[in-house]
Amino acid sequence: MKSTQYSEKTLDHFRNPRNVGSLEGDDVAVGRVGNPVCGDLMEMYVRVKDDRVDEIKFLTFGCGSAVATSSMVTELVIGKTLDEALEVTRADVADALDGLPPVKMHCSNLAADALHDAVKNWRSGTRLKPLGEEEIAAAGGGCGVREVTVVEGATEYAGTGVYTAVDDISVLADARVLVPDKGVESARLALALTEVTPRVIFVTELKALDLPEEVATQVKRSDVKVLFQSRLLAVRGEGEVEKVLIRDLDEDDEYELFVDAVVLLGRQGSQ
Amino acid sequence: MDSPATRDAAIADAAAAGPATSREVYLDYQSAKPVDPRVVQTMLPFFTERFGNPAALHTVGDRATEALEESRAAVASFIGAQPEEIVFTSGATESNNLALIGYANRNKRTGDHVIISEVEHISLHNIGKHLEKEGFRVTKVPPDQYGRINPQKLRARITDDTILVSVGWASSEIGTVQPILEIAEMLRGTGVALHVDAVAAEGLLPIDMAAVPVDLLTISSNDIYGPPGLGVLYIRKGTRLAAVTMGGGQERGLRSGTENMPAIVGMAAAARIAGEELSADAARLTAMRDRLISAVLSTIPDSHLNGHPVERLPNNAHFRFEGIEGESLLLSMRDEGVWVSTGSACSSKTLAPSHTLISCGLLHEEAHGSLEFTFGRFSQEDDVDRVMEVLPGVVSRLRRMSPLYQKI
Repeated sequence: MKSTQYSEKTLDHFRNPRNVGSLEGDDVAVGRVGNPVCGDLMEMYVRVKDDRVDEIKFLTFGCGSAVATSSMVTELVIGKTLDEALEVTRADVADALDGLPPVKMHCSNLAADALHDAVKNWRSGTRLKPLGEEEIAAAGGGCGVREVTVVEGATEYAGTGVYTAVDDISVLADARVLVPDKGVESARLALALTEVTPRVIFVTELKALDLPEEVATQVKRSDVKVLFQSRLLAVRGEGEVEKVLIRDLDEDDEYELFVDAVVLLGRQGSQ
Repeated sequence: MDSPATRDAAIADAAAAGPATSREVYLDYQSAKPVDPRVVQTMLPFFTERFGNPAALHTVGDRATEALEESRAAVASFIGAQPEEIVFTSGATESNNLALIGYANRNKRTGDHVIISEVEHISLHNIGKHLEKEGFRVTKVPPDQYGRINPQKLRARITDDTILVSVGWASSEIGTVQPILEIAEMLRGTGVALHVDAVAAEGLLPIDMAAVPVDLLTISSNDIYGPPGLGVLYIRKGTRLAAVTMGGGQERGLRSGTENMPAIVGMAAAARIAGEELSADAARLTAMRDRLISAVLSTIPDSHLNGHPVERLPNNAHFRFEGIEGESLLLSMRDEGVWVSTGSACSSKTLAPSHTLISCGLLHEEAHGSLEFTFGRFSQEDDVDRVMEVLPGVVSRLRRMSPLYQKI
């Protein structure tokens, strides 16, 4: 069976998803599951009234079944008590959609999990709010510590792709350049590099940019790709820099990324 | 209420909108191509009155031998080769197996090291895995951000034990064309053989074995609008291979099995047509490709072109859209009757994102948002218009429900 052979009901929920959107207010519980790296991210917003699901909305980044299961679960639980909502399983959601392709049963059937996460957050008093731009910026303000870690291979590849200073940015023309966050100078360098190459990746261990507002805004508006909550662990390649190993601190996961150069500036004064 | 004039206008509008909205648009020529009707006509007699086994010693067999050798010459001429350098196989995958496994096994006393590029088709990566199990060492060479292999980077990986390098002429996925002439010239005189999978490029770019010193070249029949189930391995004179398929010794013992004559005659016809129509076809496809690329990039915010901006196949436009996922894009386009491909993990058997996109330096979530359009011989100019009628709406609909895009 192909991964895209969905039931008519699944396709209907994909084409006409019910209850798309977000909710705000003190009576709203939010659940969030998935990881965009894996191709799925879901947010479930539940307005709770008298211990019941009074209103429910979702936002989803994902494949057809991710959208359809999110939509289905909102229909299944609206009006139910929170206890009843916790009893809705992934299998219930799949059944309600007249089944899912076997390969999608686990990876893209996270909607029940997102709902359960919302209920648990509500009961534990965790008021997860949507991560708007302001929240991201504010979150960063409180945790301005950039961990100093040893990057494996940084000295081995000095001169063959690892730079500690870049006097003439044209040497990096058309290269895929990774710039670890070392403060405002590193951010300014990343911005300057976008003039000579389309691929500049700024990797920071923080949840949000801890930079002067003007520079942070420039970065957001630029073509610089920012990797939040990520740490450069190692530089790899055959005789020259070809890949880096990145740790996703949020997901506790590691992956390789193909790049041509890494610019490790010295640590700047705290900003 | 309805004046005749407005009613006529409405009817005219409906008539104009009718066929355009219900028309099905196939823009996935990289995955399969229809067989050209002219090719089918050439093949038909070979199923019935002109049947025959070239190995048979009577007149029916002799006629089949004649058709076989004429076809071999036609295919050879299509790629600037000699007829005796052409071996018919069951398709590109078999040709790649024969090239890599056959060459490695025959030459293992010279060395045990094989290099393949990271942007190859999955069939080559899996043949590489098989060679590793057989005791060979396989090294991958990464491309630049546009998917191009730098010949100097390749050279740096060659050791005294290296016997074979395999690089595709072009990527069927992102459309990037490799500097094959430079790579071939860099390898000349080193004793390292070069295999090129030219399936994505054949019929779209001129391929001339008299001008480019490639040792082994894979082409397939369906990729030039011939019947599926037939391929060719070009083997330059003097290049030695061990057979992978054992049997009756057909194709100089390199590929046993009674010849699939209707398909062979069909591929020859397809090669003749492709040879004659290549430049006109390529020019027409390039114009459509460029129109789609500029329309998408200028109309849809946060959209990017994957692959090389200039060194790319005439028929390939490969995009990524921030904040959305490729399978959702594909399903929505399917609902609109537009059939395309994606590099998203969610539509693959392994649920892993496209290795080609990752090796170009994309993050997983970026690779997930990719969509591939490939034009072909029967594509029409207004296919581009149809795509642009539906794609911007599909992208914004999916973005409206994406938590990622709201954060971008």
